[in-house]
Amino acid sequence: MDYRDTPEEAGFRADLRQWLADHIPAGWDKIEDEQEAVALRKGWHRTLYQAGYVGLSWPVEYGGRGLSPVYDAILNEESGNLNAPPLPSVGYIGRAIFTYASEEQKQRFLPPLLSGDTQWCQGFSEPEAGSDLASLRTSARLDGDHYVVNGQKMWTSGGQYADWCLLLARTDPDVPKHKGISAFLVSVKEPGVTVRPIVIASGEAETAEVFWDDVRIPVHQRLGAPGEGWRIAMTTVSYERGPADIGFIAAYRRTLRKVEHLAAERGLLEQPEWRKKLARAYVQGEVLRLNCMEQLSSRVSGRPPGPEGSVAKLLWADAEQSLQHLAMDILGADELTGSAEGWLSSYFTSRPVSVYGGSAQIQKNIIARMLDLPR
Amino acid sequence: MLTLLTDEQQMLKEVAGEIAGSAGLANPSDLTSRNWAATWQSLAQSGLLALRTRDEDGSPVGSGVEVAVVAEAMGAGLVPVPYLGSAILATELLCLAGADDDAARLAEGTARAGVLLNRDLSGLARFPADGMVYGWDVDGAEEALALTDSPEGPRVVRVSLADGFVPAVSADLTRRLLRSDGPIDPARLTTVGRPLTPEDLLRWEALALAAVCADVVGVMRSALAKAIAYAKERVQYGVLIGSFQAIQHMCAEAYVAAEAAASATSYAAWAVDALDPADALLAGWTAKAQCAAVARDVTETVMQVFGGIGQTYEHIAHVHTRRALMDSLVFGDENALLLRIADVRLTGE
Ligand SMILES: Cc1cc2nc3c(=O)[nH]c(=O)nc-3n(C[C@H](O)[C@H](O)[C@H](O)COP(=O)(O)OP(=O)(O)OC[C@H]3O[C@@H](n4cnc5c(N)ncnc54)[C@H](O)[C@@H]3O)c2cc1C
Repeated sequence: MDYRDTPEEAGFRADLRQWLADHIPAGWDKIEDEQEAVALRKGWHRTLYQAGYVGLSWPVEYGGRGLSPVYDAILNEESGNLNAPPLPSVGYIGRAIFTYASEEQKQRFLPPLLSGDTQWCQGFSEPEAGSDLASLRTSARLDGDHYVVNGQKMWTSGGQYADWCLLLARTDPDVPKHKGISAFLVSVKEPGVTVRPIVIASGEAETAEVFWDDVRIPVHQRLGAPGEGWRIAMTTVSYERGPADIGFIAAYRRTLRKVEHLAAERGLLEQPEWRKKLARAYVQGEVLRLNCMEQLSSRVSGRPPGPEGSVAKLLWADAEQSLQHLAMDILGADELTGSAEGWLSSYFTSRPVSVYGGSAQIQKNIIARMLDLPR
Repeated sequence: MLTLLTDEQQMLKEVAGEIAGSAGLANPSDLTSRNWAATWQSLAQSGLLALRTRDEDGSPVGSGVEVAVVAEAMGAGLVPVPYLGSAILATELLCLAGADDDAARLAEGTARAGVLLNRDLSGLARFPADGMVYGWDVDGAEEALALTDSPEGPRVVRVSLADGFVPAVSADLTRRLLRSDGPIDPARLTTVGRPLTPEDLLRWEALALAAVCADVVGVMRSALAKAIAYAKERVQYGVLIGSFQAIQHMCAEAYVAAEAAASATSYAAWAVDALDPADALLAGWTAKAQCAAVARDVTETVMQVFGGIGQTYEHIAHVHTRRALMDSLVFGDENALLLRIADVRLTGE
C-alpha cells in the first residue's frame, strides 16, 4: 500500500504539469458562446491527442499507450489542479467498442474516436425507458444487409454536437426484454436522424432528444452479437459511473476553494458554524477521492469495475449537491438575484448528478443486490 | 499509487480476523462468561500486541496500516480486551519515550497498561491537572499513562490505577473505563524515559486517530453484516424483510457510509508513518470526522433493521452502537475535528 506516486508516475506527472502550463488556452473558461465552447473542447481534445494524452490506458494497438489506469487518474487530477478545459470522455464508449467490436470495427472506429476527429454520444434512454432501460422500444428491423431503425431517444447528451452514436435498439420483440436488445455504431448524420436540444433547469442545453425515422444501418455496424446489447450497455455504464473518470474530484476541489473564498469575502470565517460546514465539505471531497483511489487500485489489480462503482456514484452526487447547497447558503440573496453569476446555474447542474448514469435510487438497488438482499 | 494491502498485510488480516472472530461477542452475556485472558494470550502469541514495539533500527515493527488491520478486526468482533489501550496507545507512548523494556512486557501480554484521558475524552490527560480524568480501555491494567509538562518538554508519566480510581459507568460495554475525580497527587506520577518531541506527540495522535477509526469501521461493518443476514431470514407479510425496498435502501445507505469511512481510514492509517506529521494528522482528523459523522447512524440503522428485538438488552445490536458512540467521541468528536480541519484549511484566506 502506497498512496504516493511511483518514480515513473511522478515523472509523468511533472512532465504533464509542464505541458499543461504551456498549452492550456488562456481564458477558455470565460467563453460564453456555446458554439465557441464546443469548438474549444474539440480543439483541446486534438491538442491532448497529439501530445499523447488521450487513451493513456488503452492498448497500444488501438492507439493507446498501454499504461495503467493510474495514469488516467493523474491526468484527471492535474487537469483539474491546473484548471484545464474538460477532458474528452472517450473512456466509456471506447471501452464498449474495444471490448465487443470486431477487429475491423476497432480499426475503423477507435483511432478517430481517440484523436477527436469523431465525437460520440450515447443513445440509450428513451421517454418511456429510463431506469427501466431494458424496456426500450426503439426498433431495429433487419432488411437484407441493413437494419432499419425507428424510435425516439431522449437524454442523448452531446447529441447535437456528435458525429456518431452508440445506440441501443430492440432487434427481437419476441424474447424477454433484456435479451432482444442489440447495440449499433451509427452516424447521427444519416438521413432520418433529427436532433433537438433539451435545455435543463440550469438554462443550459446539456442534453438532447434524437428521433430515428427509417434510419438504415449496415449490418456490419452492429456491435457484438444480436441480443448482446444489454451486456454492452451494462459494461458502458459501469465505466461511466466513476467520478474519477471524469475529472470530478479535481473540479470539486477547485469549487471548494471558490466556496471558501466566498465565505471569506463575506466575513463568515470567524464563525465556528461556517468553519465546520466548510471543513465538512473538505472531508466529503477527501472521502470521495480516497474511495475512488481504492476502486482504481482494484481495477489496476485486474478487477473490472463492478457494483462498487455505485458507492462512488452516490458519494459523488452527495458531495457535489452538498457543496452547491453550501454555496447557496453562503451566497444567500446574491445567488437568487443574479449578483453572484453562475452559481444558480451550477446548483441546477448538480441536481441531475443523482439522476443520470442510473439514479441514486437505482444505485441503492444495485448495492442491495450486491449485498445479496432478496429480490 | 496503490491502496491495496500487501500479501503479508492480507495474512495479518486473516490471523487477526480468526482471533477476533472466535473470541468475539455473540451475545452481551459473553462479556461475563468467556475467558478473555485466553484471547489476550493468543494475541500476544501471534505477535499482534507487539506491532508498535521497535525493531533494531528503532522503527515500529508494524506501520499504521498493520495497526488498522488488527484494530478493525477487534472492533468487528467487539472483542473486550484492551487492544487499543495497551497494545497501541500505551505501547507507542512507551516506545516514543524510549522505554522499550516496558513496552516489551506489554507486548508479551504479561502486563497491561491503559491511557488516561481528559474529562471530555478528547485527548491524553496532561498534568498538572486538578480535574477529573478517565482511565480508558484499562481492563486488567495496573497503571495508565499520561503526559506531564516539564522544562525539557512533555514527558510520559505512569499512574497506578490501584488508588483513587473508581469504575465509571461507560456507555461502551466492551472497554473498561475508570474515573478519578482528582486532583491526583504529583507524588503518584512516575516519569518514564526521555521527554517527547512535538513531532512525537503529533505522530502519536495520528496513530491514535487511525486506530480508533479502524476500530469503528470494524464495528460498523460487522454490525451491518448482522443486519443484512437478518434481513435474509426474517419473514413478515409472507416475504423476507430484505425484499422491502425501504430495508434495502437503509442497508445500502449504511453500506456506503461505512465504506466511505473505511476509505478515509485506510489513508489515515497509511499516513501515520508515511507522511510528515502535520499531513498525517490532517488525514487522521479527516478520517475521524467522517467516521464520527456516520457511526451513530449506521449502528442505529442496524438496530432499526432488527426491529423490536434489536432494542433489547440481550441483543448484540446495542453493543455495536455503544462501542461506536465511544469511538466517535474519544480523541475528538466530529465538531471538534472539523474545527481543527478548518484551522488548517482556512488560514491565509
Ligand atoms: C442531464 C442528463 C443527462 C443524461 N445523459 C444521458 C445520456 O447521455 N445517454 C442516455 O442514454 N441517458 C442519459 N440520461 C438519462 C438518465 O440515465 C435517465 O434520466 C435516468 O436513468 C432516469 O430515467 P428517467 O429519467 O426515465 O426516470 P425514471 O426512471 O422514470 O425515474 C423516476 C423516479 O423514479 C425512481 N425510480 C425508478 N425506478 C425505480 C426503482 N426500481 N426503485 C426505486 N426508485 C425508482 C427514480 O429514482 C426517479 O426518482 C441523462 C439524463 C439527464 C437528466
